[in-house]
Amino acid sequence: MNGLAFTVLSLIGDTSILLQGDEELLPEGLNIGFKPIPAIIVIAMMGLFLAAGVFYKVADTSDMWVAGRSIGNIENGMAIGSNWMSAASYLGMAALIALSGVYGLAFVVGWTTGYFVLLIFLAAQMRRFGKYTAPDFVGDRFNSDAARAIAAVTTFLIGFVYALGQARGMGLVGLYILGDPGIPGLSGYQAMMIIFMVITIAYLSLSGMLGATKTMVLQYVILIGAFLIGVLVTGWTAGYSTFLPQLEYGALITELSSEFYDPFAGGSYYLWVATAFSLIFGTCGLPHVLVRFYTVENERTARWSCTWGLFFICLLYLSAPAYAAFGTDLYSNEVRPAYGDPGMSGEAGDVIVVLATQLAGLPTWLVGFVAAGGIAAAVATVAGLFIAGSSAISHDIYANIINPDATQRQQVLVGRLSIVALGVLTILFSLNPAQPIAALVGFAFSLAAIVLFPMFFLGLWWENTNRPGALAGMSTGLIVWLIPMFNEGHFQTTPWGIGFLETWMPAIGSGLIGVPVVFAVTIAVSLVTAEPPLETKQMVRQCHSPEPMPKDKTAADVVAEKNGGGPTPADD
Amino acid sequence: MPDNTTHEPENEERTVATDGGRSDVEREKEIDYLDVEINLLKPGTPFMRDHNRVILSGFALWAVIVFGPITATRLAPGVMTQTIPGLGFPLHYFLIAIVGPGGALLLSVWYVRKRDKIDEKYGIEQIQAPETTQTDTSSEPAATDGGVDR
Repeated sequence: MNGLAFTVLSLIGDTSILLQGDEELLPEGLNIGFKPIPAIIVIAMMGLFLAAGVFYKVADTSDMWVAGRSIGNIENGMAIGSNWMSAASYLGMAALIALSGVYGLAFVVGWTTGYFVLLIFLAAQMRRFGKYTAPDFVGDRFNSDAARAIAAVTTFLIGFVYALGQARGMGLVGLYILGDPGIPGLSGYQAMMIIFMVITIAYLSLSGMLGATKTMVLQYVILIGAFLIGVLVTGWTAGYSTFLPQLEYGALITELSSEFYDPFAGGSYYLWVATAFSLIFGTCGLPHVLVRFYTVENERTARWSCTWGLFFICLLYLSAPAYAAFGTDLYSNEVRPAYGDPGMSGEAGDVIVVLATQLAGLPTWLVGFVAAGGIAAAVATVAGLFIAGSSAISHDIYANIINPDATQRQQVLVGRLSIVALGVLTILFSLNPAQPIAALVGFAFSLAAIVLFPMFFLGLWWENTNRPGALAGMSTGLIVWLIPMFNEGHFQTTPWGIGFLETWMPAIGSGLIGVPVVFAVTIAVSLVTAEPPLETKQMVRQCHSPEPMPKDKTAADVVAEKNGGGPTPADD
Repeated sequence: MPDNTTHEPENEERTVATDGGRSDVEREKEIDYLDVEINLLKPGTPFMRDHNRVILSGFALWAVIVFGPITATRLAPGVMTQTIPGLGFPLHYFLIAIVGPGGALLLSVWYVRKRDKIDEKYGIEQIQAPETTQTDTSSEPAATDGGVDR
């Protein structure tokens, strides 16, 4: 834990250094300035989210975290999609494909196909376990408050790293729509990022997960509508495609520079596999994704909503490469060559979706609508992340460890305070982000893949995984994740720069090495130490029983009943 | 195979036609899951065996869909970068960008349907929530997780 506290401290120390740089983050080619109609669209949209948040305002912890377990199939699928499709999907995905070609497709593959692994190995079993949060699962499965605390800190860290990418997206798109508000001491990007983060936090602290679930469906409809209409009209107007840009962009590919389609121009084979691997298993370890399965009434709904979720996600992920192709061609023709020196900047790449619609000459209101979709994506995801991060603090650390007698009121208060804390941290670190959106988000995935996924997987599929195994595995995982982060200088200004590590264990794909290492450590330590108590094993067994379970029961309740209403495993 | 059309999942008497010995379904009914070891590689009951077969074969297929195209491109770049007639896509691009995500989606549908079939075979019916009412879970976090001592 000391190491972690040190990391957080050094992170804060670095901010002050970063703040001194005052480079403008302006995407070239993007028509920045106040635009009345897009501004109205965005303001109306945010107002709608806020109204939904107020309408579904909750004060009850159960509603706050799992929406009373009342959400259905398709609705949950849309919420999964909306929760999932962040600025990294909406903006960053097309950016990576445009900037790094086939390597960028590792993100398309990683961020979709992971859902299958989640579906077959985790979704229904997690639902049966019946806990509120991911750290809750870890803490109760391994009977350890230390494990719960590591999981909670990891969850918080994931929320934070992930949100950095979203804040960057909000700032860049906000800049397009509203221009530079001219706040003294802040660049236009910084001012916009802060404004949108504050709105997001205000909305979130009013509503909880129930408000968020209902709103997420709305957000999904808006964002997918904006994205699909945008790509359709761009393709049509610029003469690239007719009705199915998702397939028609194929003909354009070989006309672009070879950087766009040469298999290993943007990254080696190893890097591709490592990145996809990390993203896939990170998907399966992300607390804010898993928590969506707690909101459904039974396992069958958990499975079907996972599949629906993947369907809704695929709609966007099959379209993003088309956007990238259109955007790259338009940019090369109208701004400057996309590759070579100077080429397309990271900032321009991160708004390529908006840029493409603008360069294709679409009316400003339509470009604004597409931009609004990007903001909806960022807001929805930050909502999910901050809920997961704040419940980790208020529920898992505060109510379970610090103050076991906490009242509901206190828990909700701590939850709201931690949302604000997360928001402030995110704003500070997003003032001058060094990495493109998708890369920032990728680090969070590596962390989830390395530290949390092995615990979920082994915890559910091998009953002999025990407390020492989990503690050893998770601590190893945290260290393994931090090494490349420090090596590449993502946490500090002077990277270690060990070339061998950068090649074989890149931060963005550290899961390929990290996940097997954590599996091995967890299994080895579990084998040489005492087996977990029978009650814990029974709890795992209950997760695999086909016998239906009432929606308000947890595996622990069933085990306690079987053992004559004795203490639950968490109490031994 | 099962003649399970009523809404009484708890009814122990209901049986299926067997072929002399006890069927998987009958054996499954006698099992208390709290006594069965959970190990992905050693499924302990007929239901788990059926389910694991689906899971593991799905996973193998999935691995091919996800990592197959890029690996093939690494091994045989000439063949894999050819342009697909009609579509205009280079083959590797198509397999990665379209077949990858699409394949995972189709596999998911295959899995959930397969799993529904297994549920049907073993007469498993999910509990449906009654109409949405005020959920009585207000004290649950404290009740299930509170009072942890170390």
